[in-house]
Amino acid sequence: MEEQLTAAQARDHIEMVARILDESQQRLYAGGSFFVVWGLFGTFVTLLGHFVSRGALPASALWAGAAALVAAVAFSVLRRRALRVTSERRSLVQREFFNVLWITIGLAFVANLAAFNIFRGIASAAIWNFADAIVLFFIALHGNRRALVAGIAVVVSLVVANFTAPDATAYALAGGVFAGFCGFGVAELLSRD
Amino acid sequence: MDDLLLSKIRLGIVSELLAADWVAFSELARSLEASQGNLGAHLSKLVEAGYVEEVKTFVNRRPLTQYRLTQTGRGAFVAHVRQLQSLLKETS
Repeated sequence: MEEQLTAAQARDHIEMVARILDESQQRLYAGGSFFVVWGLFGTFVTLLGHFVSRGALPASALWAGAAALVAAVAFSVLRRRALRVTSERRSLVQREFFNVLWITIGLAFVANLAAFNIFRGIASAAIWNFADAIVLFFIALHGNRRALVAGIAVVVSLVVANFTAPDATAYALAGGVFAGFCGFGVAELLSRD
Repeated sequence: MDDLLLSKIRLGIVSELLAADWVAFSELARSLEASQGNLGAHLSKLVEAGYVEEVKTFVNRRPLTQYRLTQTGRGAFVAHVRQLQSLLKETS
């Protein structure tokens, strides 16, 4: 048998729904530590590649880049597992965020690994800046101004790298990743309640 | 109107799940300020009706019960809220 609501009750229910939906829209946790780790990885690999190409380091030093990648992936997997234990809610936006994060980083990795004849030398590093900017702007779309600033910093580093002297290109790209990704990550960690 | 969603707490549960991939039982209890027994009873009704899916897992040997909204539940919610809005329009 169907019950009926009064207009006052209906208004009360609608207001509750609106309040819950309004609060849930703000629950995007970007995970500062992910950005610090991947920012450090991007900075390290860019500078490593630069020093190897300039002859300041032997080619065998590139293995350090592979080791850094394994470490970054291992950290991400362990951190995500830890978050799953402590987190009691995952919003749809959160799920989309992780999808964008992993797809973008994965595509940049594949481009580096499988399209190295196209993305040679410094272009392989620039791909990471491009990927990082996409991730940061996705977060910015959900109202995070720090991500917007960080994304702009990464894009600016790409433009600066394009017009700077060849010797300084890697530093511009690495600086962009460091300031954009690590900077955003630290800001997120500091801003968490 | 949807009989199940006439209950304010059940409507609150569905609203909490609407923008979520999943929500843990303890988080629902905290958000809705409901007792565990009361919340469990309402969740059981929503699960029986196919509005909500319950997933019980163990994470690091700790039990974790998660809930997510089904397509049936999402459709029922949308229809119910439209009817609430219609009622308000008629009476205003």
